[in-house]
Amino acid sequence: MRVTTFFSENTKLFMVWAIALFVSATAFAAQPSEQQASSDMTLDIAAIVKKAEQVAYYSGKDGKSMARMLIVDEQGRKQMRQFIILRKDVTTEEGADTGDQRMLVFFSRPTEVQGTVFRVEKHAGLNTDDDRWLYLPALDLVKRIAAGDKRTSFVGSHFFYEDVSGRAIAQDDFTLVSQTDTHYVLKATPKMPQSVEFTHYIVEIDKRTFLPSTINFYKGDNNYRRVEAVSVETIEGHPTVVRSKVSDLASGGYTLMEFKGVQYDVDLPDSIFSERSLRVPPQAYIN
Amino acid sequence: MISRSSLFIDKLLYVSTQKGNWVYGVLCVIMLFCAFQMRLIVVDTDPENMLERSHPARTFHNETKQTFAMFDAIVVGVIAPTGDIFTQQNLVAIDSLTQHILSIDGVVKRDVMSFSTVDNITQGDQGELIFSWMMSAPPESDVEARDIASAISRLPMLEGTLASSSGNAAAIYVPIKDKSESYRVAQDIRLFLENSGTSNSNADSRDASSALQWHITGLPVAEDQFGVEMFVQMGIAAPAAGLMIFVLLFVFFRNLTLISAPMVVAIATVIITMGALIGMGFTVHIMSSMIAIFLMPIAVVDSVHILSEFSDRYKPGQKANEIITTVVEHLFKPMLFTSLTSSAGFFSLMLTPIPPVQIFGAYIGFGILLAFVITLTFIPAYISRMSDTSLQKLQQSLHKGRSDTLLQRGIDRVRYVALNYKSVLIITFAMVSAVSVWGITQIQINDNPVRWFKSEHEIRVADRALNQAFAGTYNAYIVIESDHKTESAERILAASQIPDSLKQWKQETLTLLRQETKDNRLSQLSLLIDDALFDVTDDGAITALEALSKRVETIKRESKVFQQPENVALLDNLQAYLNEQALVGKSQSLSDIVKVVNRELRSGQDKDYVLPTTQAAIAQTLLQYQSSHRPQDLWHFVTPDYQKTLVWLQLTSGDNQDMTQVIKLVDDYFAQNPLPEGLRYQWAGKAYLNVVWQENMVAGMLESLLSAFIIVFLMMVVLFRSLVFGALAMLPLTITITFIYGAIGIVGKDYDMPIAVLSALTLGLSVDFAIHFLARAKEIYKEMGNVNATLNAMFDEPASAITRNALVIALGFTPLLLAPLVPYITVGIFLASIMFISALVTLLVLPAAMIMFKRWVFKEA
Repeated sequence: MRVTTFFSENTKLFMVWAIALFVSATAFAAQPSEQQASSDMTLDIAAIVKKAEQVAYYSGKDGKSMARMLIVDEQGRKQMRQFIILRKDVTTEEGADTGDQRMLVFFSRPTEVQGTVFRVEKHAGLNTDDDRWLYLPALDLVKRIAAGDKRTSFVGSHFFYEDVSGRAIAQDDFTLVSQTDTHYVLKATPKMPQSVEFTHYIVEIDKRTFLPSTINFYKGDNNYRRVEAVSVETIEGHPTVVRSKVSDLASGGYTLMEFKGVQYDVDLPDSIFSERSLRVPPQAYIN
Repeated sequence: MISRSSLFIDKLLYVSTQKGNWVYGVLCVIMLFCAFQMRLIVVDTDPENMLERSHPARTFHNETKQTFAMFDAIVVGVIAPTGDIFTQQNLVAIDSLTQHILSIDGVVKRDVMSFSTVDNITQGDQGELIFSWMMSAPPESDVEARDIASAISRLPMLEGTLASSSGNAAAIYVPIKDKSESYRVAQDIRLFLENSGTSNSNADSRDASSALQWHITGLPVAEDQFGVEMFVQMGIAAPAAGLMIFVLLFVFFRNLTLISAPMVVAIATVIITMGALIGMGFTVHIMSSMIAIFLMPIAVVDSVHILSEFSDRYKPGQKANEIITTVVEHLFKPMLFTSLTSSAGFFSLMLTPIPPVQIFGAYIGFGILLAFVITLTFIPAYISRMSDTSLQKLQQSLHKGRSDTLLQRGIDRVRYVALNYKSVLIITFAMVSAVSVWGITQIQINDNPVRWFKSEHEIRVADRALNQAFAGTYNAYIVIESDHKTESAERILAASQIPDSLKQWKQETLTLLRQETKDNRLSQLSLLIDDALFDVTDDGAITALEALSKRVETIKRESKVFQQPENVALLDNLQAYLNEQALVGKSQSLSDIVKVVNRELRSGQDKDYVLPTTQAAIAQTLLQYQSSHRPQDLWHFVTPDYQKTLVWLQLTSGDNQDMTQVIKLVDDYFAQNPLPEGLRYQWAGKAYLNVVWQENMVAGMLESLLSAFIIVFLMMVVLFRSLVFGALAMLPLTITITFIYGAIGIVGKDYDMPIAVLSALTLGLSVDFAIHFLARAKEIYKEMGNVNATLNAMFDEPASAITRNALVIALGFTPLLLAPLVPYITVGIFLASIMFISALVTLLVLPAAMIMFKRWVFKEA
C-alpha cells in the first residue's frame, strides 16, 4: 500500500524532505532481511525493487529532519541551502495508511531566502497529480506550482526533484545485471524514454539494508550523472541515509546533502500541514 | 675602417670564388636542416593572439570566460525564406539537428542553446508557475509551433538570440570545450545537414524557395577556415610570386642559367627563414604566413644589381671570378645599406606591441640580412663557375637593342618630364602632399577579422544573413564587480566572544578555514558553526554560536552585492540606455532574469515585469529560476557570491569602429550615472579585444614608423656623409607614403591591420631607390662635373636598374592578389603601388630637387 503511494506516477518534485531513494530522511525500515534476499537464487526482481522503495521512503508514521545542501560547481565555488523537513503519512480514520503524504519544507539559509516554504500534498492515486505550493515571504506570495517535469533542479542543486521525491518504480523496467556479496545491481530502462534525459540507469541496492547505494545515469554509453548514499546510519531502528551526493560527471560539479536530527514518529499534528503554516510556521516543530 | 671591411670582402670573395663547393655545401646543409624543421609547423589563427598572452585585457577576458562559464561557440543559423521559421516541419528539422549536436563529442552539452534545450517559464491556467522545456519534443502541428513562437517572444533572454524578432530565423549555439575541435564539430554538423536532406545544396530538388537556409558560423569556425585559407595562400601565392619573379628576371636577363642564381638565393632565404621561425617554436600566424612572399622579391634585389653590373662589365675572354670580385666590391656598400635600411624597416615592427607583427618584422629583417649574406657568397661562387659559353650568351642577350625596350622607352618619357618640368613637378608634388596630409587626417581606423574573408565567402554570407535576422553575432561584455572587501572569516571568528568551552573548537575551526580557498571560507565558517551548534549542549555556547552565526550570515548577505535591489536596478537602467542605441542589437543581464521570473510569479502580465524591491525578494525570485532545467544559466550573468555581474551585449557589427563607439557610449553613460562607490566596470569579449589590439597597433605603428624614419635617415646621413643627401634620400619615400595614406583617408578605405603594418616596412624598401639614385648621381657628377649632364646620364643605366628593381618587387607581390583572404590582397595591392609610385617619385622628384638645391647638393658632392 505504502509502496504504491510513494512510487505513484504522480510523485511530485517537492518531496525533498522525503529525501527519497538514497536520502531517505524519513526512511521507514521495512526490516531488511539478509536471509531472504541474499540466498534466494530465483530472485524476484520486482520484490527487490519494491522492498528498496519501501525502505527508502516510508519510515515511521511521520518524520522530521534538518537538511543542508552544499552545492559545489565545477570551479569549486560553493553555495549552501539549509532547510527543515516535516513529513506525515496520511491515514484513514481507522488509522490505515492511504499512501498519501503531506510535507513541509522550511528554508532557513541563506538568510535571504529564510522563510521560504514548500508545501506538498502527495497523492498516491496513479492519476492524481500532487498539489504543491510555494511561499515566498519577501514577495508575500503563496504560489501554486504546476505538476510538471520532475527532472528540474531542486533549488539550484544537482539534485532533481525526482531524486528527492523518488522515481516511481512503475516508470521503469528493471533487469538484474549482476549481484555481488553485498549488492544487487539492477538496470532500469524508462518506459517513457521521451520524458527523461537518460536512456537507462544502473542502481546498486545494498543487500543488507535494501537502500540503493549508487545510481549511475546513462545516455547510451555515457555515464553522465551519479547519485550516491555516502553515509548510512540506523536511526530509531531505520536505516537512514544521512549523507548523499549527486555528481554531474560531465562538468565535475556536485551537491552534497546532509541530514541531521533525524527523528521518526514525532507525532506531528495534521493541522500544521496547512496553508497557514506557510506564512506562520509551526515554531514548535521546526526548532 | 674601409680597408678593414674591404679586406673582409676580399677574403669572403676569395672563399666564394675559389671554394665554391664549400659555399654550396654549407648552404645546402643549412637549408636541409631548416627545411626539416618545417615539419613542426603550428598554425595560429586566433585573433586573440594579436595581444600578448599576459596583456591585461586578454587575461581579463579569459578570466571572465572562466568566471561566467562561457565557451567559444559555433553558431548555426537557419533562415526560412518563407518568413516563418515556426512551422511544424521547420522545428522538426531544428530539433533533429539539435539532437544530433548533443551527440557530438567535444560539445558542452548542458550549455547548448536551441529551442529543444532551453527552458520556458510560464503560468498555467490557474496561475501556477510552470518550468518546462521550450520544445521537449518537436511539435506535431503548426499551431503547436506557433505556441513556441509566442513563448519565446515573452522571454527577452531568448528573443533576438535564439529566434529572430521577425520570426523568420532560428539559431543554435553550440559551445565547444576546445576551440581546436571546432572544425570537426562544424564538419559533423554540415554532414548531418547534407545527409538529412535539409542542407542548402540538396534543397534545389524540392521547392527551392521554401527550403531552409542553414548557416554555420561563429568565431571558432572562422578561425579554422582562416587556417585553411592561410595554407592556400602559402601554397599558391608564394610559389606564384616565385614564378613571377622568375619570369621577370628572364625578361631582364634572358638567360636561364644566370637567373637560376637569384632564384636559389630567394628559395634558400625563404626556407632558412621559415625553418628558423618554425624550429624556434613560433607559430605561423596570418602575418608570418606572408614571410615567404615578402622575402622572395626582396631577396633577389641585390642579385639583380650584381647581375646587371656584371653583365655590363664582363667582356668575353675576361675571367669571370675577377670581374665578379670587382663588381661585388663596388656594390658592397650600397647593397649593405639597402639591406640594412630594408631590414631596419621590418625590425622597427618589433616596436609594435603585437606579437605576430613583431615576429613577422623580426624574421623578415633577419631574412633580408640573410639574403644579403647568401647573395655575397653564393652569387660570386655561382658566376665564377659558369661556363664561358653561357657567359657569352649572357653578353649577347643583354647588349643588343637595349634602347628599344619598352622599359627604356618608358624611362625616356620620365626623363623628359623630370628634366623639363622641374618647377611644375615640385609644385605638383607639394600640392599633392598638402592634400595627402589632409587626407591622412580623414583616415578611419577600423578593422573586423570577419571581413578578412572575401565578401562572397560563406562566412561573410552567414555573417550578413545572421546579423540581419538576429540581435547580433558579435559579443561584448560589461563586467561590473564589487571591490567591497568582506571581513574575513578568520577575523570574524578570532574577534568573536566565545565561552571557554569553545576555545578548542575555535582553534580547530581556524585551522580548517585556512585549508579552504579564500572565497569559500565564509561559507565554510557557517557550516562549521552549524555543525557545532548541533553538538554543543551548554546554553552559553549555544548563545555565543548563534550570535556568531547571525553575524556571519549578515556579512554574507551584505557581500551579495548583485542581489541588492539598487544594484540590480543599476543593470536595468544601463540596459534601458543600451537598448536605445542603434549599435547595440540587444543586451541581457541578471535584471532580465529577475523580471521574467517576477512576472511569472505574480500576474504574468507586463505590469509585473519589474524588479522586486528587496534583496530577499530578488534572492527568492532567483531561487525559483534555479529550479529550472538549466539552473547553471544564472552563473553566466552573476557569480555565485553575487559580487560580479555581466551584461552581455550583442552587436550586429564586428567593426572595431562600432565597438569603439559602444565603449564610448557606455563611458558617457557611466560618466553621467556614476557607479556607486566600490563598484567598477571593465570590458571583455572578442569585439572588445579586437578594439584593444587595434589601438595597440595604431599607437605601435606610429612609433615604429617614426623610429624607422629616424633610423633610415641617420643611416642615409652616414652613408652619404651629408645631411642634405640624407634629407634628399628621405624625400621620395616621404612623399609616397604621405600620398598613399592620404589616398586611403580620402577614398575612405579603412585603416586596418595590413595597412598599418605596411607603413613602416615600405619605408625601408622604398628608400633603396633613392640610395641607388643618389649614389650613382654622386659618382657620375664626380666624373662629369656638370649638373645637367649628370642628371641626363642618370636616366640611362641607373634609372633602368632602379626601374627593374621596382618592377621585381612590385610585381613580385602581385600574386598576393590571388590569395583568398582580404588582408593578403590589401598587402599585395598596396606594396605593389607603393613600390611603383616611390620609384616613379624618385625619378621625378630627385632630379628636380637636386637642381633646385644644387648649391648645397653639388657643392657637397
